[in-house]
Amino acid sequence: MTEAWFSALGEPLGEDERSEVDGYLAGLGLKAPLRAVKTWDEAAARCRAPSDDWWRREEDERERLERSARLDPADPEWLALNDVLHGAAAVAAARAGCADQALIRVAAGSASYAAYQARLAHAAGAAEGHPFLRKYALYCGGRWPLGVYHGEFSIF
Amino acid sequence: MSAYPSIKTVEEFRQQPEEYQTAVRKIVRSHALNELYGAQVFDEPAIRLAPTPYAKWLTCRVAMEEYHHHVRFKELADQIGVRPEEMDLRQKRPLNIFEVPLESWEQFCVIKMLGDLAEILQVEDLLHCSFVPLRNIARTTMPEEKFHAQFGLDFCVDLVETEEGRAKVQRAVNGFFPEVPKFFGAAGSKNNELYRKYGIKLRSNEDMRADYIARAKATVEPLGIKLP
Repeated sequence: MTEAWFSALGEPLGEDERSEVDGYLAGLGLKAPLRAVKTWDEAAARCRAPSDDWWRREEDERERLERSARLDPADPEWLALNDVLHGAAAVAAARAGCADQALIRVAAGSASYAAYQARLAHAAGAAEGHPFLRKYALYCGGRWPLGVYHGEFSIF
Repeated sequence: MSAYPSIKTVEEFRQQPEEYQTAVRKIVRSHALNELYGAQVFDEPAIRLAPTPYAKWLTCRVAMEEYHHHVRFKELADQIGVRPEEMDLRQKRPLNIFEVPLESWEQFCVIKMLGDLAEILQVEDLLHCSFVPLRNIARTTMPEEKFHAQFGLDFCVDLVETEEGRAKVQRAVNGFFPEVPKFFGAAGSKNNELYRKYGIKLRSNEDMRADYIARAKATVEPLGIKLP
């Protein structure tokens, strides 16, 4: 599979992507209308707001999975993926005229965290359709899922 | 600066005096372990403490960069014959700087601002190292180390906008800063003398410590923060 990291930012969402978001939120016990983010500035503003309930639900699930599986954060293959994610975020930002090194790292860090969560879900034997796998699929398809802010699920 | 010639490859390294090889191994091992400790005891736990997804994801990326620095130094350590037991965290007590327990986001921002500044000075001293593979790792690592210190400074700038935030940053500086000058090693160090003799490092521990304190002061004073 060829991942399209950060290549579809700001593009209209397809039905399958909307369905993936619904499944992801339902898996975390959440329901929220979708907000399509159009620019890097808007993405930055969104994720600078607190999002405690959504983040807590993801963290609870991460902690549950980590009780049955552990990953090595210094694994060279894993670090190589992180470099690919950072490079892809930098290219996408440059195409959109964004040169904010911190924001590029924020995007890369979010994809790294999602990749970690998905690997953890696999390692722990989670079923297909697990929310972490659904969120990671959105990243693979070129999106940046930003999370739930002010009652809306934002996706770039 | 020492006139010691550039040692361009690991093969050439193996032909150097044992004293040179031992000195390089010590430095490479120290950097490999420090990068790993930093990622484990500060960066990774700080993701939980960060106040917003923006700060959490940025911290996550910084943690990955620190792990990557560890891997770069560790790979070189393996190539130049550092024994695996010397790289085992269970057998090597961490530097004092890594024994400060991480308890708040403000403390983490101060650690990045002042702790990574100390790391910048250490890496700067290797930018013209006679052992070229180590020099090149230092040069590759430096832009990220600078970003990490700037990350800490930028968040501290935001935090000191309120009196409460400024008080928290000052408390964190008071708790962390006194540990940092020891990070530069003892005055009159024999190891440091060897590092300079062989052109591995440029400056004495005393010079680096004095430079660090001056740069740390210049960093925090515009924020209305004083070094203890």
